[in-house]
Amino acid sequence: MTSPSEKKILVVDDEPDVRLYLQTVLADAGFQVETACDGYQALEIFESNPPDAVSLDLVMPRKSGAKFLYEYHKHDEWRHIPVILVTAHAKDDLGQDDFNDIMSNLSIVGPETYLEKPVKPLTYVNSFKRALGIEITEEPHSKEETKDEIKGLLNNADPQKMDQILNLLKQK
Amino acid sequence: MQKTDLRDWLHNELFERVPSNIAIIDREYHIVEANKNFKETFGEWQGKLCHNIFRNRNTPCSSCKAEQTFHDGQSRVSEESRLNRHGSSSYYVVHFEPIISPNGEIPYVIEMSRDVTENKRLQREHDILFDRVPCYVTVLDRGMKIVRNNEMFRKTFGESLGKKCYEIYRQRIQPCDNCPAIKTFTDGQVHTAHKSGVNKNGETIFYHVTTSSLSRSEKSPTHVIEMSLDITETRQLEMRLNESHDFQASLIESAIDSIIAADPDGLVTLFNPSAEKLFNYNADEVINRKKIDQFVPPDFIDVITKGENRCLLAESKARNRDKQSVPVRFSGVVLKSGKKHLGSAAFFQDLREIKKMEHDKLEAERLAAVGQTVAGLAHGIKNVLMGLDGGMYVMQSGMNNSNSDLTHRGWEMLQNNIERISLYVKDFLNFAKGKTSINVTSVDPGLLAREVIDLFTTVADKAGITIQAELSDNIAPANMDYEAIHTCLVNLVSNAIDACEMSEKDGGVVILRLFEDKQTIVFEVCDNGCGMDYEIKKKVFTTFFSTKGSAKGTGLGLLVTRRITQEHGGRITLESTESEGSIFRLEFPRKRLPPLTEMA
Repeated sequence: MTSPSEKKILVVDDEPDVRLYLQTVLADAGFQVETACDGYQALEIFESNPPDAVSLDLVMPRKSGAKFLYEYHKHDEWRHIPVILVTAHAKDDLGQDDFNDIMSNLSIVGPETYLEKPVKPLTYVNSFKRALGIEITEEPHSKEETKDEIKGLLNNADPQKMDQILNLLKQK
Repeated sequence: MQKTDLRDWLHNELFERVPSNIAIIDREYHIVEANKNFKETFGEWQGKLCHNIFRNRNTPCSSCKAEQTFHDGQSRVSEESRLNRHGSSSYYVVHFEPIISPNGEIPYVIEMSRDVTENKRLQREHDILFDRVPCYVTVLDRGMKIVRNNEMFRKTFGESLGKKCYEIYRQRIQPCDNCPAIKTFTDGQVHTAHKSGVNKNGETIFYHVTTSSLSRSEKSPTHVIEMSLDITETRQLEMRLNESHDFQASLIESAIDSIIAADPDGLVTLFNPSAEKLFNYNADEVINRKKIDQFVPPDFIDVITKGENRCLLAESKARNRDKQSVPVRFSGVVLKSGKKHLGSAAFFQDLREIKKMEHDKLEAERLAAVGQTVAGLAHGIKNVLMGLDGGMYVMQSGMNNSNSDLTHRGWEMLQNNIERISLYVKDFLNFAKGKTSINVTSVDPGLLAREVIDLFTTVADKAGITIQAELSDNIAPANMDYEAIHTCLVNLVSNAIDACEMSEKDGGVVILRLFEDKQTIVFEVCDNGCGMDYEIKKKVFTTFFSTKGSAKGTGLGLLVTRRITQEHGGRITLESTESEGSIFRLEFPRKRLPPLTEMA
């Protein structure tokens, strides 16, 4: 049986808070964790000492996640390294183009390879376990359900409705 | 004197004096006798043959009429060309008469010739005149039949001899009404008329016809000459001129632009319906009654006074009857033909609709920006939630593992994200501020820029960044919301400082420039910082887009800047090269700046 401690995961995110959060979640689950603040740094690590899996933010300054993926696909020797996309931008103008580009690319398949922010720690950890063939801990029904529900609702909020609410507020 | 002697003498005198050249030739063509006129015309004849004399030949002529008369005894008349004694050729009408002896022989032929060179020339001239005169000429008999026609007539109407004139000209079966030829046949006088007909190709021909009797004395002449001058081209030009006049008139009448024209004294001569609407005057009240000066901008009067030609004002005012001022685009021209001053014309394009549309568009853009912002807000909240989740998780993990460093960092995350919530709320409320709150005063742009520079000097020094001001002097005060423009510049300068900090290079420089170009006030913020790649440039104004990391930005700064710029009728542009730097430029055309806010 593979243990998480045998696996090294690279967390790529431009926001230090997110980086620390994801790093801590993975470390608590027993993984070795390395971090990179953008695509360039991630590529350097891939070239010198490739990880076993990578957690990738799609939209980052200087070198977006998409650009990193482009380089990643050019290297056959990296093909076996699973990529988990973690992004908040999949549904807005900012990330949609990148996201669609990537999703239309065959190399990344399966529902567990894409996660939308905000991610739940257990879902996040289980995605890596699944990708790396490690036994999965049951996801418990927790008291956090209400919070998850709010997050879900926020994810699906209709911008026009929000606009109407704003107008109402302005009129008082 | 004996009676016979007298006769002989008279015959001799007759022979010598008759106004004709007479010669008698024998069958061998010897000239055996000739009169004085003959000798004067053709020279010495004695001992000569007739063809020696007339043609300077030694053999008889090929179709000698004398020979024919010797042969058949018939009289003949012919027209011949002969050489006179000076060797030049002339035309003669020659009569050949046989002298028949009692025994029926013809020993001699009398030849009587008369010089008709002059007649011949007149005849030829007449023919040329008849054929070539630039008129259709026909001669009609009393039955209106064409008995002669000239070349020009034939060319246009075809050969028509024997046909009735109205058949040819008008393709009618009866004479036309008011036929001038019929009048001439009746009274012998000259008559004229304007007519139109159809030529042999079926095209309409316009002509001016004159009819005249061919004989001078008769009251009811047998023949009438009809001369028609073709005026088709003139008529066509006239018609085209009329059409073009009508065309221009309807253009002016139906033009959306208001058009006013005046004579050289400035008196209005044209006032189209659009002008009636714009100025609220009827054309009748204005034309020949009012001066153009009262309608056009003073700039145009200057142009006229200075003797210039044109005046174009992209934005001007027209004052109508009710002293209301209407925004217009104005174009005025001084009309000249060569050096002659014909007057002036003024064109007004009513800009009220356009102004309203511009205003609506600005409003729509602002609302669209608000909509985008609201949509982006959900995204922002997501990030904050994730930060809070993360902070709690990291703190919890630190406490679980007795890792005080991790606990501390988790706590920091929580603090940061709570601060971020306040930032969002502040920026968002700022952004959502309605136009109602805009407070326009007369602002000195230089002073404003200077204040922003002062604000950042300390911050920049600390970060090791040079901040410079390049401000043009003498920029006149402009209508602006001081606070709002201040916010814009603060946003841009603070962005520029961040861009320098994010750059890997040292020696960051931020320059705030202020200048005026073509009545447009321009603020420019340049940095030599990290710059932006294409994708970031594309997104920079779109949503809550921040590249600065969690604590620093909400992504609203540029949106707020753009909204304020647009509210001032200006625009924001961006030039940026990755890792070389960026230039943000705010351009405010003076004429688009908002009016002063009225004091409550």
